[in-house]
Amino acid sequence: MRFDADYFEALETPRMARLAANVVAAAFPLMKLMPARYILDRAEAAGELKGKAHIVETTSGTFGMAVALLAAARDYRLTLVTASTLMDSKYQARLQRLGAEVIALDDPRGDGNQKGRLESLDGILRQVPDAFWTRQYDSDGNWLAYARLADLFVRSMGQIDCLVGCVGTGGSLCGTGTFLRSVFPDLKIIGVDTHRSILFGQPLGKRVLRGLGNSVLPKNVRHELVDEIHWVGAYPAFHAAHRLFRQHGMFMGPTSGAAALVGQWVSKTNPEARVAVIMPDEGHRHADTVYNDIWLSTLPGWRTPASAFPTKISRIEPKPETAWTRFDWRRRSLEDVMQLQTTDR
Amino acid sequence: MKGSGGSLGGAVFPNAPSLDRPGTGRAGAHHGELIQGVFQDERGRLHRGLITLPLSHMNSLALFEVADEQGVSVVPPEKMKAAKAALLTLRHLDSHHLGGLLTVESAIPVGHGYGSSTADVVASIRAVADAFEMQLRPSVVCRLAVEAERASDAIAFEDQAVLFAQREGVVIEHFGDALPPIWVIGFKANDGQLVDTLALPPARYSSEEIQTFAMLRGLAARSIKYQDPHLLGQAATLSAKISQRHLAKAQFATALGIANNFDACGVQVAHSGSLIGIILDATAPGVAGTARNIAEAAATAGFKDVVVQPIYSVRRPS
Ligand SMILES: Cc1ncc(COP(=O)(O)O)c(C=O)c1O
Repeated sequence: MRFDADYFEALETPRMARLAANVVAAAFPLMKLMPARYILDRAEAAGELKGKAHIVETTSGTFGMAVALLAAARDYRLTLVTASTLMDSKYQARLQRLGAEVIALDDPRGDGNQKGRLESLDGILRQVPDAFWTRQYDSDGNWLAYARLADLFVRSMGQIDCLVGCVGTGGSLCGTGTFLRSVFPDLKIIGVDTHRSILFGQPLGKRVLRGLGNSVLPKNVRHELVDEIHWVGAYPAFHAAHRLFRQHGMFMGPTSGAAALVGQWVSKTNPEARVAVIMPDEGHRHADTVYNDIWLSTLPGWRTPASAFPTKISRIEPKPETAWTRFDWRRRSLEDVMQLQTTDR
Repeated sequence: MKGSGGSLGGAVFPNAPSLDRPGTGRAGAHHGELIQGVFQDERGRLHRGLITLPLSHMNSLALFEVADEQGVSVVPPEKMKAAKAALLTLRHLDSHHLGGLLTVESAIPVGHGYGSSTADVVASIRAVADAFEMQLRPSVVCRLAVEAERASDAIAFEDQAVLFAQREGVVIEHFGDALPPIWVIGFKANDGQLVDTLALPPARYSSEEIQTFAMLRGLAARSIKYQDPHLLGQAATLSAKISQRHLAKAQFATALGIANNFDACGVQVAHSGSLIGIILDATAPGVAGTARNIAEAAATAGFKDVVVQPIYSVRRPS
């Protein structure tokens, strides 16, 4: 039997952890391996990736790490475009050790400079016309890959009533949600975003909680699937990550903290519901920041108590990093929701 | 179980045929599939596969009388695949120098997805083996059956749930237990018209469908592990909906509506036939009454040949 050195199945598989009687979290070491492998496998099968192909992508980190691991094992050339605010030098060094070329653009506005990154990527594609762009923002492969997570959830939980997950590209929540809802039509899909991310209608601004949210709108965010959206500020997310570590022994990244926070609130307000939560990555990358008291103490307002429950809002607007808000999205399109927002004013 | 043994030409054979007692074999029908699609093996390769819904109350019976010369004749003569299966079984038992007379009697209607042909084939394989005082493992029976008729199903496993590659004759996954306790109210769509199963081109599934099958497999595994008829019914319903895009059955939506109205576990179909089944939890209070009401509603809606079928609730002596 051939040994598939490039499969990384164990690293791709989340630990299914029970957070409460009715809550199961899929805690991933590196969630993005799931879409990255699926996208590369499909491209290989379709003949789009041959020999020493050159892969390109824009990423805040975890998708880049996943592609870098696969590209190294499969001997592809890889260029990643990121922003200086999104990736520390240690993470960059890890990617470079895997053989990836990392282009880190300046980010004067602190919004991730996604526009600049896409322009830079366009430039590379013009120079290397047969480069393969994994397109996590809009390729079907991103969301289709999460059938495997839906499989793992049903195997460990059976019937599922609520799915809670972060939204960045939309792949994980909308993909897992699409598959689960095809068998459980009443499934509630609850998205986790953060203030000043434009995904669910907030104005663009500087985000402190990174990894989820976005400054541009990827096609893989399908608003019509979402029943309810939460904007979790950086501070409640950080506190939630600390609690996950202390109470459950789970050392996860801050977006996992945000998802756990919302998941636990959903389970308390719906004690009969079975709640599945997606946790995208581990905490190691954040050891010097989110898990460092000195770094935390430099954050303006860190000592102010963070929201312990969400405030329901009907006007979509940004709030301070201590705040946690939620909105009844009701499976509507972004246009439909925004139209009502402007007429309300 | 080993036979009593015998001797022929001085050599000792563990399983010599009994020339004075004919071998007998029985195999059940099925009511289509709970799930059918394509599934990955542990190396990531895709195989067409299915989970059969076995029936225990309709059977094919085969009788095999060994003769001391090559060739198998069959009654009725049109059961060619059964004869081929008998020959393959003789070869499997290292007895291709022998032959015999195969008689097949079946109570299973042909051409609706009841698996009449596979039942004949499996009953015949078992009859030949029995003539040699042998019982073959289900996996061996299935492999021979696929060799005899190109595509088969998993009825040789009886009520043990397996994900079976019907064109290769191998098990993709053993779920490790029987199906959960269910009743199926079965009927025929398309005014009971016949379907030529083997003439159908295999379905070409989309990426989304192929990915969905991975989750359906997880649902099946869970429903069998915890004997949960509701989860099994939900999985079967989704598989049936996918099948509807490839081989549409008239009035499928009507059947879904009836299942919903009576809070059934779900709906399953013969993915290459005309059968539809509404699945009930056999342990639910009042299941017999619910089954009667569903049967009435199905007949009123114009479905043909409505039958209430407890699935393997009564084990027949074999
Ligand atoms: C740490 C982390 N959390 C959450 C997400 C959001 O997941 P998705 O892109 O599937 O919406 C990402 C995606 O980049 C991430 O890296």
